[in-house]
Amino acid sequence: MSTVGVAGAMTIALALAGCGGGGSGESSADTYGFPQTTQDDKAEITVWVDADRSSAADAFKKANPGVPIKVVTYDGSANGSNSFRTKMQLFDRAGSGWPDVVFSTQNNDAAWASQKSNGKQAFAAVLSGGLVAKATLDGFTPGSLNPCTVDGKTYCLRNDLAQVVLWYNKELLGKFGYSVPTTWQEYQALGEKVAAEHPGYIVGTVGDAWTPEVFFWSSKCQANNITGPKSVTVNTDSAECKRAATMLDTLIKNGTTPNVSVFTPEFVKKYSGKVLAMPGPAWYAGAIFNNPQSLNVPKGQLGVAAPPAWQGEPAVTGNVGGGTWFISSHSKNLKAAEKFAEFVTTADDYQVNLAPGYPAYAAASTKWVQKQESSGYYATDLQPIVKAGTEIWDGWGSGIFSQEAIWAKTMTPAIAGGKSLVDLLPQWNTAIKNQAQVDGYTVK
Amino acid sequence: MTAVEETARPVALLRRRPSPRPPRGSRSATSYGFVALYAALTVAFGILPSLYAVYLAFTTGEGSFAGFANFTKVIGDFRFLPAVGHVAFYLVIWLVSLVVLVTLLAVIVHAIRVRWLSSTLRLVFYLPGALAGASSVLLWLFVLDPTASPVGGLLRALGLSSFVQVIVPAHLPPIFAIIAFWAGAGGWIVIMYGALNNISPDVIEAARIDGAGTLQIAWRIQLPLLRKWISYMGIMSLAAGTQLFVEPQLLSQASNAVVPNDYSLNQLAYQYAFQQNDFNGAAAISLLLLVIALALSAFFVLRGGLFETD
Amino acid sequence: MTTEQVKDSGVRRGDVSGWSVRTIAGVITTVFVLFFLIPLGWLLLASTKTARGLIVDHPFAPGTLGGLAANWDQLFSFGDGEVTTWVGNSALYAVGALVITLVASIPAGYAMALTEFRFRRALLILTLVVMLIPNTALVLPIFLELNMVGLIGTPLSVILPMSFFPFGVYLTYIYFSTSIPRDLLAAARVDGCREFQVFTRIALPLAAPIVALVAFFSFVQSWNNFFLPFVMLPSSDGYPIQVGLTSLLASTPAFNPSSAGTQSIQLPTLALATVISVLPVLIVFLFAQRFLIAGMTAGGTKE
Repeated sequence: MSTVGVAGAMTIALALAGCGGGGSGESSADTYGFPQTTQDDKAEITVWVDADRSSAADAFKKANPGVPIKVVTYDGSANGSNSFRTKMQLFDRAGSGWPDVVFSTQNNDAAWASQKSNGKQAFAAVLSGGLVAKATLDGFTPGSLNPCTVDGKTYCLRNDLAQVVLWYNKELLGKFGYSVPTTWQEYQALGEKVAAEHPGYIVGTVGDAWTPEVFFWSSKCQANNITGPKSVTVNTDSAECKRAATMLDTLIKNGTTPNVSVFTPEFVKKYSGKVLAMPGPAWYAGAIFNNPQSLNVPKGQLGVAAPPAWQGEPAVTGNVGGGTWFISSHSKNLKAAEKFAEFVTTADDYQVNLAPGYPAYAAASTKWVQKQESSGYYATDLQPIVKAGTEIWDGWGSGIFSQEAIWAKTMTPAIAGGKSLVDLLPQWNTAIKNQAQVDGYTVK
Repeated sequence: MTAVEETARPVALLRRRPSPRPPRGSRSATSYGFVALYAALTVAFGILPSLYAVYLAFTTGEGSFAGFANFTKVIGDFRFLPAVGHVAFYLVIWLVSLVVLVTLLAVIVHAIRVRWLSSTLRLVFYLPGALAGASSVLLWLFVLDPTASPVGGLLRALGLSSFVQVIVPAHLPPIFAIIAFWAGAGGWIVIMYGALNNISPDVIEAARIDGAGTLQIAWRIQLPLLRKWISYMGIMSLAAGTQLFVEPQLLSQASNAVVPNDYSLNQLAYQYAFQQNDFNGAAAISLLLLVIALALSAFFVLRGGLFETD
Repeated sequence: MTTEQVKDSGVRRGDVSGWSVRTIAGVITTVFVLFFLIPLGWLLLASTKTARGLIVDHPFAPGTLGGLAANWDQLFSFGDGEVTTWVGNSALYAVGALVITLVASIPAGYAMALTEFRFRRALLILTLVVMLIPNTALVLPIFLELNMVGLIGTPLSVILPMSFFPFGVYLTYIYFSTSIPRDLLAAARVDGCREFQVFTRIALPLAAPIVALVAFFSFVQSWNNFFLPFVMLPSSDGYPIQVGLTSLLASTPAFNPSSAGTQSIQLPTLALATVISVLPVLIVFLFAQRFLIAGMTAGGTKE
C-alpha cells in the first residue's frame, strides 16, 4: 500500500466529512411564530415523499422549473414504521440534514412534530402564523385540518381525506340479485347470503392494519379517544366495540372477509373479480379497484354507497390515513418550501389531474369528483364520498402512537391463528393502554 | 455481525504456537508507533463507547446520578420480557440446530472420498454466507411469501397459504433460526472440516483395526476431539444471537408491523433511543447486552484455551 | 494422501451398516444442498421475470433478458438514480474502512508479534476480547459518542468505526509470529536497519497473503454492515446499498400497502436489487473461494 494512496483516501474522507457538516445556522427572525434560520431564496429544497406522491413532486417540477428541488423517496412512515419521527430525531441529534418538506401517510404526526424534543426546536413550522396565507388554510374542507392542529395552531397541510365508504360491484350485485346494504346489520346478512349462495366471493377484508379504522371507528368503538395532548381513554369492552367484533367474527368464519391484505399479490390472485363489496377509504378507488396492477375492475362496474349505519343510529364513518405535508422549521428556503406544500395540496395539476385520493382542499375536491364522474369509470355518482367526508366520527383521535401498528402486532396474527375478535378485545385494550403509556399518555 | 467474520475467526486457532519472544530490546519506541493508530481506534471504538454507555445507563436525561432507575425502568417495560423470551427461544432453536447439523454435515463431507465432490459441497454450503444482513433477509422474504416462493407448494402443504400465516409469532424463532443457519452455517462447516482434518489419521486407522465402524468412529473419536470447536461455535453464536436486529427489523417493515418493531432487545433499545428519545434507557439495554457478550468472550479468551496469547 | 488411503481401507473392510449409513448420509447431504442452493438459484431467476410471471409461472422457469432489462431500468430510475448513489456509497465506505484497517492493523499485528513493548500482552488480550464482542453490541454507544463530537450523518461516522477491526490485527499477529523467520529480522538488524526499515523492507514484502486476507474480510464485513449505517446515516443520500434495500422494500406494494402507485417497485425488481447488493461479495467468494477456504482451514490441512 503506497503512502500516497493512503493519504489520498484520508483526504477524501475528511473532505467528505466537511461536506456533511453544514452547520445548523443561527436562529434569527421569528416572523411566522417560530425561530427560523437565515433564508436563501435560491437554496435547493429537499422533499421527502412516499413512492405514490413522487408524481406530486414531478408535477411541481413541471409547473415550476425554476425552483431547485431534490426529491427523496421514503416509506411515508406507513404502518407504524414511524420512520418520519425517528429520522427527524436523528437529524435533531446531528444538528443538520432535515428535509424541507415531508409527506407522511399518517395523520398523527403533528402530535410530536409540533413539540420541542429534548430542548431542540420543534420540527414542524407553524403554518397558521402567516407562512401559509389564511385564505388557503380556510380553503380546506372544514375539519380536515384537525389532525394538523395543536393548541389552535396549524402544523401541516392535509393531502387527502380518507373517509370510509362502501365500495361495491354494481354488476355482480345485480347479477346475484342482492341490494346495497345501508346498515351494518344488512351488511352482515349480505355476507351470510354470499357465503351460502356464492362461496368464494367476498364483502370486505380484515387483513390490513386499518381494520379498526374501517369497522371499529364507524361503530363508535372507544379504542382511541384522545382527550388531551397527553391523555387517552381506551375502552374496548363497550357494546359498540363488541357489535363490530361479533359481526366480523361471523364474516371471517364464513370466509367473506378474509384475513388478507388488499395489497398482497395473494389478494389479487384470489379475489380479482370476486369482490362484491368492500367498506374502505376513498383512496381504495385509485389504489386497488381502478389499478391495472391490482384488482383492475373494468369500467362501469364499480359503485359507491354511503357508509352503512348501525340500525337506529345516524351513520358515522371512519378515516384511514389521508396524508399530511409538513414544512420544516429548519428550512433555509421557507418560501420555496411553502410554495411546494401549497402546490401539492391545492393545485389542480396534482390534486385534480393525478391524485388517487379525495383532495382535502375543498375547491380541488369538487373538481376531482366532477372529473372522476365524467370519466365514466364509476357505475354510480360519487356524492356518497362527498357526504361521508362530513360524517367522520370525532370520538377517535390522532395520538402519537399508531393504532395500526398495535392492531398489526396483536390482532392480525391472532386472527390468522383462528381466534375470535370478541375474545381478543381485552387483549387489544391492554395493548393500546401499554403502548400509550410508553409514549407518555395518561390512560383511562 | 457478518457470518464471514464470525466464521473466519478460528483461522488463527488452527495455527501452531508462535515461536518464543525475541529478547527485550530498546526498540519499543518504534513499536508504539506501529500500534499507535490501532490503539487509538481501540480506545475510540472499543473502550470509550463502553464507558460512555455505562455512564448513560446510570444517569438521568439531565445528567444526574440515577442508580439503577434506568434498569428497573426498561426491565419493567411491558415489551422487555417478551423481547427476552423471543431472543431466548430463537437462540435455543438456532444453537441446537447449528451444533447438531453443522457437526453432522462436516463429518459427512469429511468422509466423502471424491475430492471434487467434497470441495464443491463445501463451496455450496459456504456460498450463502456472501448474502449477509439485509440481503439475506430480503431473499427469505420472497421464500416465505407463498405467492412468490420457490417452495410455495411446501408451505401450502404445511397449511400456510398466506404470508401472514407464515409469520405468526410462534413461527418467528424458527424462521430467524433458518435464516441465520442458511447464511452462517457454511463457514462453520468449513471450519469443522478443517478441524477434522487435524485429527491424526493414525488414531482413526487404529480404531478401524479395532473394528470400529464409521458411526462409531464419528461418535467415539471425531466428536470428542471436536468438542472445543463446538463449544467455541456455540459461544460465538450465542453472543451474536443476542444482538438480533436486522432480521426482525426488516420483517417488521415487510409485514406492515405484524412482526412488531420491538421484537428483539436491540430493537427495543433502538425504540428507546429514537422513538422515545430516551438515550439513558437505550444505554441500559445496550449495557445489559454488552455485559453478556463481554462475559462470554472474556471467559472464552481466558479459559477456553483456543486462543494464542503466548 | 494418507487420509484417503485410510478411508479407502475402511470401505474395503465393508461395515455391515455401511450401505445404510451412506444412503442416509446421501439423503441428508442432498436435502441440505437443496436448502442452500434453491433460494440462491431462484433469486437469480426471479430478477429476470415480470411481476406477473413471478407469481404465475413455474418458480424455476427462467424469465427473459427483456424482463431483466426492464427490471434494471426500473431499479436504476428509482428516485432519480438513487441506487447508483447507494452502490457508490457502499464502495466508498468499504474501501475507506479497508484502507484505514490495513494501515492500522498490519503494523500493529507485526509489532505485537515480533517486537517487545510494555502493554503488549494487555493489548493482545484486549484485542481478543473485543474481537469476540458482536459488533452490533457497540453501535448505540458509538452513536452516542460520535453524536457528541458532531459526526453523525457524515461518511466518517461509518468509516471510522468500521476501521476498528481487531480480528484483522489478530490474524496479522498470528501470521507474523508463525511465518516470518526471526533470523531474517535479526540479520537485518545486524546489518544496521532501523526498526522501521526492518518492517518496510523485510516484513511487509512477505506479508502479501495476510494483507489480502485482512483486506477481504474487512471489505466483506463493511459492505454487509447494516445496523451501523442504519443508525449513523439518517439521510438517504448517505445510505449504503444494504440500507438502501429497506427504501426499496418500502416502495414495494406487496410489502408496504401504502406504496401502491405508479412509482412503485415490483417484486422482480426488488429481487434484482438484492442480487446487485451482494454481487461484489459474491464474485469475490466465487473467484477467491479456493484461497479463502484454504485460508480458513490453513492450519488444519498443512499441519
